Amino acid sequence: MAALIDIHPAKHRTRVRRATAESAWSRWLVISIAVGFMGLMFVLPLVVIFQEAFRKGWEGYVEAFDDRATMHAIWLTLQVAAITVPLNTIFGLAAAWCVSRFRFRGKRLLTSLIELPLWVSPVNAGLIYVLLFGAQGFFGPSLKEHGIKIIFALPGIVLSTIFVTFTFVARVLTPQMEAQGQAEEEAAMTLGANGFQMFWRVTIPKIKWGLLYGIILCNARSMGEFGAVSVVSGHIRNKTNTVPLHIEVLYNEYQFVPAFAVASVLTLLALATLILKTLTTTKRGAA
Amino acid sequence: MSIHIHNITKTFGNFNALKNVNLEVKTGELVALLGPSGSGKTTLLRIIAGLEFADEGEGSIEFHGTDVTNRTAYERKAGFVFQNYALFNHMTVAENIAFGLRVMKKPQRPEREDIDKSVTELLRRIALEGYGGRYPSQLSGGQKQRVALARALAVGPQVLLLDEPFGALDAKVRKTLRKWLRQFHDETKVTTLFVTHDQDEAFELADRVVILNEGDVQQVGSPQSLRSDPANEFVADFLDCVMI
Repeated sequence: MAALIDIHPAKHRTRVRRATAESAWSRWLVISIAVGFMGLMFVLPLVVIFQEAFRKGWEGYVEAFDDRATMHAIWLTLQVAAITVPLNTIFGLAAAWCVSRFRFRGKRLLTSLIELPLWVSPVNAGLIYVLLFGAQGFFGPSLKEHGIKIIFALPGIVLSTIFVTFTFVARVLTPQMEAQGQAEEEAAMTLGANGFQMFWRVTIPKIKWGLLYGIILCNARSMGEFGAVSVVSGHIRNKTNTVPLHIEVLYNEYQFVPAFAVASVLTLLALATLILKTLTTTKRGAA
Repeated sequence: MSIHIHNITKTFGNFNALKNVNLEVKTGELVALLGPSGSGKTTLLRIIAGLEFADEGEGSIEFHGTDVTNRTAYERKAGFVFQNYALFNHMTVAENIAFGLRVMKKPQRPEREDIDKSVTELLRRIALEGYGGRYPSQLSGGQKQRVALARALAVGPQVLLLDEPFGALDAKVRKTLRKWLRQFHDETKVTTLFVTHDQDEAFELADRVVILNEGDVQQVGSPQSLRSDPANEFVADFLDCVMI
């Protein structure tokens, strides 16, 4: 079709005015509002973070990381992400599978629950776990008896991070798997593939870009989560301070260069996520 | 291999998709399931393949005398060709065809060279030599259809089930493929059951035609006998012939 219409594109190029086209000045206005807002709200803070981080030059920047508490915070955050992301990948896959493949009672409830972390304030997520596992909490006494520490320790941080980041993999995969249907899986079964072979050879290749996208988002959020972790962690330096909490501590202690230097690491993570997200979205569109 | 279907009933919620269906397909036969849309023909085909299960009760399905009612699709291994082909888009044509052989358990699985040989042979039979390295998205509808058929045949199924095999193709390709399938069946003699809503297709291809309406088998017979002796109003009306 295109070839038929554009035989001599150069000769016939006239300005085509669509009925929905705006006049030049209103277009200019809308674009400048959008770009201006983005610049003010998103780009400027990014610039400021790096400007402050490098206020004392490259050496000052590097020096900021030569600190036990900072390195511990980074290490703790990596640990939290290393536990949270694989677990939520599995939970998310299972949830998306259930919702897209089966009809069952309570399916709508499950779909709503998957989105719960998006509407609940992260602080509440933390508080739930304090109420359950804290010293005065529901399970508090029996946990203490067995010498298990959840609140103000790694397990509590991981639990609240899981709560906050649960939604990402499931939310990305569910609509994709619903749209793709399951004819290919059925074909694999009639060809004698067992459930495991069907999953690895047919389902995973079909959803891999969406899955990667969900994992990237889940990872970014689990490393950056502040509210929920803040409630359960107790802010113990060298013990339960994750990177976002540590940044707050540094800032409150007027250590601006280290605070912004550590913040720049999270910013770089966000930028890397954005780039990966764009790449996987293009791939998802192409697949 | 023969197929025996006894008293199969299937309901989806309140909808009665199949009502007490009985049917027998003899070894090496080519049978068409013909009916208007919503008559339950695809549901019946899916139940035979094990992709759907009939309502619990007295109904049963036998493959060559063996009761397979409670077996899964994976255990029944009926060759199935889907309406929209359901090719694996991330695999090449050759990989698609080899899939069923590659997922076999160790003792039965052929050696890699033997798999390659069977793929080459199948590609020749479907007249797509040299297309092994292409992806499904690079094929036309008729080519996809033939790849789907080759993929189903690669594992040497005893039964071949085809859901609207020519439904998505244009008239010319449809005619060629129809002839080709009949010829293919005469050579291989695999028991074949196919679903269609097109009576020309059913009558030109099949040894026997099963006419379904609203989940009920209306009549079973050879194309000639159906035309000359329709069992009821519906069949007569559907086949556009006059009741005598």
